[in-house]
Amino acid sequence: MAIFKMTCKDVYPLISEEMDHTISFSRRVRLKMPLAICNLCQAYIRQLQTLRNLARNLGKENSQAIEKKTLSPDTKEKIQKYIKEKN
Amino acid sequence: MSEETLEPEKWVENYADMLYRYTLVLVKGPDVADELVQVTFFAALKSQHTFAGKSTEKTWLFGIFKHKTMDRFRSSKKNLNLDITDADADRIQFDTTGHMTPSPNNWNVDSEKATENKELAQVLAKCMNGLSEKFHHIFVLKEIEGLSSEKICKEFNLKPTNLWVMLHRARNQLKLCMESNWLTKE
Repeated sequence: MAIFKMTCKDVYPLISEEMDHTISFSRRVRLKMPLAICNLCQAYIRQLQTLRNLARNLGKENSQAIEKKTLSPDTKEKIQKYIKEKN
Repeated sequence: MSEETLEPEKWVENYADMLYRYTLVLVKGPDVADELVQVTFFAALKSQHTFAGKSTEKTWLFGIFKHKTMDRFRSSKKNLNLDITDADADRIQFDTTGHMTPSPNNWNVDSEKATENKELAQVLAKCMNGLSEKFHHIFVLKEIEGLSSEKICKEFNLKPTNLWVMLHRARNQLKLCMESNWLTKE
């Protein structure tokens, strides 16, 4: 049966895909088997989950992911001038 | 009268750098980020009447910024070729028995607690910069903006299978980058 021939190589894309939509029943069944026995697959799932959690956090208002960069003084001046004129 | 009021003269001083940093995570390239910050402030200035004082000034500005960023994503689709090419090949390696090499490990971080780690977030932001524009775009929409796969496919006229392949490869690329930049292997 194809299910037993599934290598890790076949499983990883499915793991990722499952994060993006509900995969079909037959594919879910195909995934179940290797996931139950494969520690590496579990580790991979946790890595993707970490990536996802980190990314979601980057999108938050108080994210401090890039700390040192600042907007150029020229642009700041330009915006400030614009606000002064138009407000 | 509500407690919260807008003070446009202080926007640059209070929010310009914050928005700029945030933009650098969402788009590739300082020029685009620069432009987006400007567009946000200009739009905010015109929309002051929409401020109901129910949120903070910062949150209100941030909302406008998010909106402008999505506009930017929409308009960029004309110039962005989202076909999968040879350059987009999966960077993950497998050995002859079909196992990922090196083997995935636990990264020594709890996936839930990872978000408390500022350094890790910085590494991810840096690694995202290394993605191609196409992958960057899709990863941001999916994982940061939180758009559904259906919505992204519709918006960019993409086949779902292509989207999944690209997201998978983008994640793998980020995974490898995170591993080589910060995380210690067990």
